[in-house]
Amino acid sequence: MPPALQNPLTLWLLLSAGLAGLAYAFVRKELRVRAVTYGAFLVACAVLVWPPYERDGQPGRIKLGLDLRGGIHLVLQVVVEDALNATVDDAVNTARDQASRKGIQFGSAQRTSPTSFGVEGVEPARVKDMRDLLRDFFRPSWEVREAGEAGFSVQMTELYQRQVKEQTVREAIRTLERRVNQLGVAEPVIAAHGNRGDQILVQLPGVTDVDQAKRIIKTTAQLSLKLVEDSGPSSEALLQSLGGKAPDHMEVVSGPGTTPGEPVYYLLRREALITGRDLKSARVGVDENNRPQINFTLNATATDKFSRETGRNINRQLAIVLDGTVYSAPVIQSRLGAENRITGRFTTQEADELAKILRAGALPATLRYLQELTVGASLGRDSIRDGVRASIAGMAFIGVFMLVYYRLSGLNAVVALAANLLILLAAMAYSGATLTLPGIAGIILTVGVGVDTNVLVFERIREELRNGKTVRSAVQNGFDRVWITILDTHATALIAAAFLFQFGTGPIKGFAVTLVIGLVANVFASYFVSRFLFEWILGRRHVESLSI
Amino acid sequence: MEIIRNPNFEFLAKARYFVVLSILVIAAGILWIARGNLRYGVEFSGGTQLILRFKAPPEIDRVRDAVAKVSPGAVIQVFGETRDNQVLVRIAGEASESDLDAPARAIMRALGEGYSQNAVTESSSEIVGPMVGAELRRKAIILTVLGLLFQLIYIAARFKGGVWGVAATVAALHDVLVCLGALSFISYEITLNVIAALLTLVGYSVNDTIVIFDRARENLRLRRRESMAKLLNDSLNQTLTRTLISNGTTFLAVLGLYLFGGEVLRGFGFTMVVGIVVGTYSTIFIAVPLVNWWYSRGHGAAAPAAKAAL
Repeated sequence: MPPALQNPLTLWLLLSAGLAGLAYAFVRKELRVRAVTYGAFLVACAVLVWPPYERDGQPGRIKLGLDLRGGIHLVLQVVVEDALNATVDDAVNTARDQASRKGIQFGSAQRTSPTSFGVEGVEPARVKDMRDLLRDFFRPSWEVREAGEAGFSVQMTELYQRQVKEQTVREAIRTLERRVNQLGVAEPVIAAHGNRGDQILVQLPGVTDVDQAKRIIKTTAQLSLKLVEDSGPSSEALLQSLGGKAPDHMEVVSGPGTTPGEPVYYLLRREALITGRDLKSARVGVDENNRPQINFTLNATATDKFSRETGRNINRQLAIVLDGTVYSAPVIQSRLGAENRITGRFTTQEADELAKILRAGALPATLRYLQELTVGASLGRDSIRDGVRASIAGMAFIGVFMLVYYRLSGLNAVVALAANLLILLAAMAYSGATLTLPGIAGIILTVGVGVDTNVLVFERIREELRNGKTVRSAVQNGFDRVWITILDTHATALIAAAFLFQFGTGPIKGFAVTLVIGLVANVFASYFVSRFLFEWILGRRHVESLSI
Repeated sequence: MEIIRNPNFEFLAKARYFVVLSILVIAAGILWIARGNLRYGVEFSGGTQLILRFKAPPEIDRVRDAVAKVSPGAVIQVFGETRDNQVLVRIAGEASESDLDAPARAIMRALGEGYSQNAVTESSSEIVGPMVGAELRRKAIILTVLGLLFQLIYIAARFKGGVWGVAATVAALHDVLVCLGALSFISYEITLNVIAALLTLVGYSVNDTIVIFDRARENLRLRRRESMAKLLNDSLNQTLTRTLISNGTTFLAVLGLYLFGGEVLRGFGFTMVVGIVVGTYSTIFIAVPLVNWWYSRGHGAAAPAAKAAL
């Protein structure tokens, strides 16, 4: 096919012209007008479809579903609570900073639920100042209420909660898009899913290394570099001197130690010097001992802060925390700049994946799998083979039957069926609808409905002929009388298909799409094209008897 | 060529026996299902299903032994044709949402260790968390009911009489129930594909009913003095050839799909095969007699057709 015809605009013009022609033919019933418009429309359909499947390296025009070409289908849920928690933690830090800047003393400030935090034990003389401060900083996204004599409870408003949730899902989708790009998948689908608003659908057609793809998608990749206050063999040992509980601005995080099976626990500053957001790039390198490591570069603002802080904390340990695990905690030897590295016990593949994930950025929240469907590529091919073979056999049988039973009029029905299939495939190619295995079954059923339309008309014509009508008026009456029936049957079938479409998941949606398009194509092919063929033949010469 | 010339069967006279037969079949089906014989596919029940292709023909007992070490309750069976070397492994509802594919990974590892002589060359998996399954089941029922309801409204509006809509809907519902009974009786699983087949079936059953109703509507305009029973019976006979040819060819086409369409389409094919037969039956012996009964109430057999306000 010439490339000019592949152009979407050309295709659109062709299609619009075809549809306009059809509408014109509908009003002006002259045979010549119909011949030209029907012909042009079918030729446009053929152009749209060619080539239907992959040939000589050219991609096929019919998009195959995951069940036919292999790949991964995942439904993920964003744990939005993570994002809410993080938002509240940020707010607590802001409150603390502002209070100490204004010199307000208070007992504690911490998160009390995923959407609220409490401030307690404010010095009595400054309760009013604290209230003003909280209101200035947190309204209108938060509600500030007094709790007891010297305390406040600060709660996110419903609206703000919803905004944070939506933002989180949007950000998660963007991050996943970046990560999937790194995998180099053609035509991926990453979109919001379902009506609860926190689900994401990921479809990766043609992916072969399923495990790698899943790891890359699911890793949260929250990277942070935090100062180490203390370390020890267990969390209890660390907290003994602190009264069994980490202070507000510190946390305990574990990581693999030098001997396998004996993790090391670190008491870390909660506030991170650097997070994943500060990264400019990340790639794999090797360390002195030729083991894989990840080199990363910081952006300009982060570099300033990082070199200032490291210069101030020479000889202290800096923990590299990724998704809640300390990968390593090297001692700061000197003031550090933009270029840094993460060492640890990685394999080259692990390091490579980690670098990819760090480049693509962190997910704003953890993801949970709700559903997973993977299809091996050759298993998909086998499904196609069987399904297509059975479909072709079914259609061939129907065609032969029509020819035997209705003789020359049967040929008319076969032409109508071919036109029906052509329009169906063209509509799928044009709209980018995917052909799934149930979709192939849907095509057979479309052929069944198509035949029903022809049979209805032919039987009616036979009846009229038996009642002594001339050929011409029998054909006329046959088509006229059956029109209402066809309208009603197709309308009800469309209602059923519309509800099927609501089902929403991949293969079934594909089936519903083929069914809907097939029903509409059928009215055109089995009624209008078939009628035209009859009238065209009858119009050319005087016919005494009809081969039906 | 003609199948039957001028058919003239007394369909309505014997209708009551068929109605009783249908009620018995549906009751038996419901009882059978109520005793827990309806099997749900993995997408509805939640759980893990793997289709594994081995390099050489797999010894199913060795696969079973290897998998039993990690999942004792797993269902293991040959999938598709023998030459495909495929095995289906199914574990019910063990997958948790925080680590959905853990059971699948455990099985692959166990097979690598316990049956290392024959490698798995390719696999397909379907893993569904419990939440999705329950949601899908609810959705399937709601959508089927809504689909039926909207069709009822459409038909009632087009035929200017609720009874036509109700009759077509009752017939379609009858078909769905008979198919569900048949599916559970030969223990095919209710998968998404089967649900698609059932919903399509609703459309086709109604489609078939409408063709005959339409003929009756046409006859009603021409012959208002005749009895409703005779008129409906004539309509059935006039459309009989069409019923046989259209439904016969579609039946044979889906039969081909059922027999040769491959393992994945088997449940779909079966539902359509049963559905087309039952759909044809229900039009003739359920939907039309219902309409007849409605218009004949209190008039004996000789209700004038003119009562139907068309």
